[in-house]
Amino acid sequence: MLSPYTVLDLSDEKGELASMVLGDLGADVIKVEPPGGSPSRSMGPFLDGAPQAERSLQYFAFNRNKRGIRLDLETDAGQSAFLSLVEKADFVIESARPGEMAGKGLGFEAMRQANPRIVYVAITPFGQDGPYADFPASDLTLAAMGGPMSLQGDPGRPPVRLSLPQVWLHASVEAAVGALTAHALMLRTGQAQFVDVSAQTAMIWTMLQGMVAHPVQGWDFSRGGNTLQLGTITLRLVHECADGYVVVFPIGGALAKMVEWWVRDGVVTDDWLTAEDWPMYHFKVLQQQPVSHAIEEILDAVSVYVRDKTKNRLLEEGLAEGVSIAPVNNIEDLARFRHLEERGFWLTAPLPNDQMAQAPGIFASVSGNPMKVRRWAPRLGEHTGEVLGGMLGLSASQIATASGQA
Amino acid sequence: MPDTLPFEGIKVADFSWVAVGPTTTKYLADHGATAVRVEANTPLDILRAAGPFKDGVPGPDRTQFFADYNTSKYGITLDLKNPAGVEVARRLIAWADVFIESFTPGTVDRMGIGYETARSINPSIIMASTCLMGQTGPAAGFAGFGFHAGAIAGYYEITGWPDLPPDGPWTAYTDTLSPRFIAATIMAALDHRRRTGEGQYIDASQLEMGLQYLAPQLIDYGVSGRQATRMGNRSDAMAPHGAFPCQGEDQWCAIAVENDHQWAGLRKAMGEPDWAKDERFDGLAGRLAHQDEIESKLSEWTMTKPPRVVMDTLILEGVPAGVVQRSSDLQQDPQLAHRGFFRNLDHQEMGTIPYPGHQFRISGYDSGPRSAAPVLGQHNEEVLRDLLGMTDEEIVEVVIAEAFG
Repeated sequence: MLSPYTVLDLSDEKGELASMVLGDLGADVIKVEPPGGSPSRSMGPFLDGAPQAERSLQYFAFNRNKRGIRLDLETDAGQSAFLSLVEKADFVIESARPGEMAGKGLGFEAMRQANPRIVYVAITPFGQDGPYADFPASDLTLAAMGGPMSLQGDPGRPPVRLSLPQVWLHASVEAAVGALTAHALMLRTGQAQFVDVSAQTAMIWTMLQGMVAHPVQGWDFSRGGNTLQLGTITLRLVHECADGYVVVFPIGGALAKMVEWWVRDGVVTDDWLTAEDWPMYHFKVLQQQPVSHAIEEILDAVSVYVRDKTKNRLLEEGLAEGVSIAPVNNIEDLARFRHLEERGFWLTAPLPNDQMAQAPGIFASVSGNPMKVRRWAPRLGEHTGEVLGGMLGLSASQIATASGQA
Repeated sequence: MPDTLPFEGIKVADFSWVAVGPTTTKYLADHGATAVRVEANTPLDILRAAGPFKDGVPGPDRTQFFADYNTSKYGITLDLKNPAGVEVARRLIAWADVFIESFTPGTVDRMGIGYETARSINPSIIMASTCLMGQTGPAAGFAGFGFHAGAIAGYYEITGWPDLPPDGPWTAYTDTLSPRFIAATIMAALDHRRRTGEGQYIDASQLEMGLQYLAPQLIDYGVSGRQATRMGNRSDAMAPHGAFPCQGEDQWCAIAVENDHQWAGLRKAMGEPDWAKDERFDGLAGRLAHQDEIESKLSEWTMTKPPRVVMDTLILEGVPAGVVQRSSDLQQDPQLAHRGFFRNLDHQEMGTIPYPGHQFRISGYDSGPRSAAPVLGQHNEEVLRDLLGMTDEEIVEVVIAEAFG
């Protein structure tokens, strides 16, 4: 869908998913790396456990649908080649510290002069300006400053982040939305646009109903382990089963059906069947009306029912009868999850060490213009000659100079 | 002179509910599109029954859970089991550029507003369907919330402590990331349609969008058999790395020491205490091996200070640090104030509430939400008359048929 457009990606792990989303949507993305490679190439997990530029799965995973070139932006030759690319491009995405690009003479002003219709997207921890703009930050500290950590973890222990980095992924997909919004504005005004993405605010949006809890209701939500706070009810969502854990949300019609299962299997006594109008049970509890069985009894029955059954059996039994029981999948479970296989989600990716591996497919499917992986992540500098020679007409020696290989 | 808005003139028929679909169309609406959110009185959007409620008092028009996702939109109620309601729905689809729904797969077909129907009345329509598992596959009928999809997508497994059952993210996690992917896809489809006149049908599975963030680990599993799991706040590549207790009730500051240079900064910030001079802690391997000891000593220092003082002291020495902020702290955050992140909007029932703004700013125009969320059925007549061009007689027929939900 975005095939007429060219994206220049100067970012590292903080923005690589942004340009990949545009690439998946069809844009021609040129990944511009310094002579030593994107810093994300030094981030694990690594193939064969080898911490080398061509072995990073972090890099491999977030740089599909991109061509890769090497360019030394510390030199005049490199900068001049880059600005020539900007003339032919529609988007520039970068994730340097605020002011760093301008310091090199490659800020928004320089790019706008090279191309008065460019959309320039900058991804930073807190935004381009303001009291925290220059604060050092990491995934963990932004999960804290953005708020979601205050809600996660067991009450008796410190608040937690998700154990895999999430912040730059949220900020990156948000940056793709910002890029396309600004592009739509550019089409109307004919003017270059600057998009300033703040990772802190991207994390605030992951708090959902927690974002403005205090100013609205007068109190903050707080972390409760694996429970869900629903008004006056605290629901424990996670229950141990035979081979791990499942998430069960026992309300409404699902609760009514589960009560039938519990009676059938002797988990509860027969009189439960008629003890309540079960689909309406949670409304009564929310309104603090008297009920025949306390919510704790319900949760205990769930625990007893699931404890000797497997995750997949519970999922499939539930599916057949309209009760949603979610397996707490680990990575291995996901790799083998039948539903994903049957939807044809997985792709086979040729890794840089020539192994083939199962890799996640594109994030959505589009009927008219199917999205495809047209190429997997580039080797460092793989397309330097093709891009600088083919698009800019530079000679071999000019290419060597611009890419820091002279 | 008013700003030119990016999506001015784009029309959106939003038949989705709960979080993912409404947040997706919010991007279009806040940035200029004319969006109509279609609801039912029975069943209500479940977010209208969940808090936070204004002043803690429940009511379908008193919840910010609903309001945050539905800014800048018109709101109408329609009974889609009523033929007169379906007829209005079809008029909306004929009017719209973008049509989004998030029912269980098959539902819109049964209602008579599936893609084939939509395309027959509006050949260049961009339609997006989003649900937990996608429109096809053996578990397509799995109906639930982002809690379920978050567990299925692996996010419970990786959140919490290794010695305890999984905690899971506090929120319905796939609801946080899915709207971004779908909004980008719809914006690309709009651009394609502008150039070619072609519409699209988009199938967006919240599970599959969720798996994008885990791509390195999913690929790694296939080649090495390694499995990522929950590890509290610890990291393989940084130490110390955690949330440390500070002065006050349940107050914390997150600290991430990424390299030896920052370790030296941390020591300096603490005033070079003797324990930290231990040469076992000089390199990453040593700090990883002795994390328990370092965390315990570091906590003794952080506990003597309010979290903001811990943060400021460490930031001065170049060490990433951040207060674990609650929603009350966010209201006081000087950086968010500088960005004008929260926007006070006047809601018909709740009055003035700070709404969270956007995560990107586009220079030269004010890109916040434009108006507060609608109360239930707020624009029923206005939408039918002004947007769909229905006559008073036609609107009365909809009323008589009891089709306004």
